[in-house]
Amino acid sequence: MKLAYYPGCVAQESGKELDMATRWVCRALGIELAEFPTFSCCGSGFVDEANEALNVAINVRNLAIAERAGLDLLTICSTCQGMLTLANLRYADPTVRAKVDRALHPLGIEYRGSVRVKHLLRVLVEDVGLPALRSKVRRPLGGLKVGAFYGCHLLRPSDETGGEPGEEPKSFESLLDALGAEPVYYRGRVLCCGFPIQFVKPETASRIAGKQIADARDHGADAMATPCPLCHISLDAYQNKAERAAGRSLGMPVFHLPQVVGLALGASPEELGLARHLVPTDAALAKIGPTARA
Amino acid sequence: MADATIPVPLDVYRFDPARDSAPRYQRYTLDLAPHTPVLSALLKIRAELDPTLSVRFSCRSAICGSCAMQVYSKSRLACETPVGPEVELHGRIVVEPMRNQPVVRDLVVDQAPFWKQYEGIEPHLKLDPAKPMPAGRTNPMSPEQVEAFHDTPRCIACAACFSACPAVEADPSFPGPMALAKLYRFVVDPRDTARQDRLVRIQTEGLWLCLRCHLCTDSCPKNVRPSERIRDLKEMAVAAQGATELGSRHAVGFKENLRSTGILNEMKLVRQTYGVVGTLGQVGQGIHVWRKKPEITKRPHPIEGAEEIEQIYKALDAEGDGR
Repeated sequence: MKLAYYPGCVAQESGKELDMATRWVCRALGIELAEFPTFSCCGSGFVDEANEALNVAINVRNLAIAERAGLDLLTICSTCQGMLTLANLRYADPTVRAKVDRALHPLGIEYRGSVRVKHLLRVLVEDVGLPALRSKVRRPLGGLKVGAFYGCHLLRPSDETGGEPGEEPKSFESLLDALGAEPVYYRGRVLCCGFPIQFVKPETASRIAGKQIADARDHGADAMATPCPLCHISLDAYQNKAERAAGRSLGMPVFHLPQVVGLALGASPEELGLARHLVPTDAALAKIGPTARA
Repeated sequence: MADATIPVPLDVYRFDPARDSAPRYQRYTLDLAPHTPVLSALLKIRAELDPTLSVRFSCRSAICGSCAMQVYSKSRLACETPVGPEVELHGRIVVEPMRNQPVVRDLVVDQAPFWKQYEGIEPHLKLDPAKPMPAGRTNPMSPEQVEAFHDTPRCIACAACFSACPAVEADPSFPGPMALAKLYRFVVDPRDTARQDRLVRIQTEGLWLCLRCHLCTDSCPKNVRPSERIRDLKEMAVAAQGATELGSRHAVGFKENLRSTGILNEMKLVRQTYGVVGTLGQVGQGIHVWRKKPEITKRPHPIEGAEEIEQIYKALDAEGDGR
């Protein structure tokens, strides 16, 4: 399987460990990543708020790059996934398309609409498949209770993301189960991490993050895992603020999606960049134990 | 021929603040055809098993908007939510009152917080007194003008979105999806003369607290799509007034951040939103993160072909915030 790898900004900057873990997991599973240094930022939903047509245009440019290479697009961020999917949909609207083409055609950029945008979570569950993944597990995550945290744009609006039910998904939990972890179901798993308003009203954003982490904790989670690096910033890098807002200590390790997969497939903590987390993951790793299965 | 019935276990939230110290869940098990709406199940419980169950409803046809409640974690009209899929998914049906509004009793909530937010956006046409409507005729609109409303006039004010909204839950100053979708409906109405005032006011009254989590859009029984109209309001507010608030400064700052490089500069974004002085307040958290992620202070390499991004910006600047 070969895919156009769209790492997004955060995985190339403060969230480099996500990029490291993605590359490790894709190598282990035989997923070939084609790289395009021409890809731009997806706008993260903020460009969409300022200028819808512009947001569609920069993302159609990204899609056109993958189309010229004849590849589908692999994302590793719920927000990139949402923005690129939205661009595919909105570009099909003739009014939007006319505006966008006015900007793209002079640059010789044409897009036929053939590229499918796939998040790593969907690739693992639908394309690699859980039985194949299960057969590659070398260190089952036995005993580790993990609360999946999806990230809104991967799920909703569910009639546009074309995935699973946007309020009651189960793909991530089924993946965790295949890795030998025990998925924890809690209400916050499909809610917002607070990131979009971290700049607008930090105390509200941190209250939201704190609530979701506390919810996972109260349902018995040893760790959380997220397919979105923006959620990871809210839940890990800003967990100190979330703790203050929640008025309690949380100490919740938060993994990126490919890090939990990598751990189960036998990667070392160094290969997955776990030392880069703000909240130490040691307690969670101790629960898994060094029981590598040959 | 009638469908075969299935056993349907319902765990119904029960609470009478006047008598109970805490809420409890009461289990009722009914044999029902899978297509039976949750509301019909609740009314059957009330008629045959427990006359004390309080539930609000009226039309039973998804028109009046009275029977919104939480069915498991989803905010739904009980009259149009069949029991079968819920039982298939969860093995039971948990029925709770709407969130973000105080419980009066059982499944009935006091909707005052919801209506207060609705009144706050002044949900009536503000006409120009100098231009009275011509006598004897209505005020015609073009098809394009009608199109601009999208589906906002279909809102039945059921409050399902208000119940689903995590921003409402975290911050009572957020007007909520319904009030903002209604605001949109007046902002695009060609008869309304207060468009500019409405857009300027909402910038400081909660517009930028929307999390764009789209739970409102997923829970709306009439496909009003509040989260998408809130996005439209943001773009219109920036065009009307410029980026004057933290929210709009962040959105426009983010946009400008990419203009010449095509890639996000995380540190620069902090300055663009908060300004130099405001950035000082972020230094503590910055150092906290920098200890583990030192590259946050580095300037990222521009993408290859960054000049294409700049060309696209030039071509489309006038379409949005007009900068």
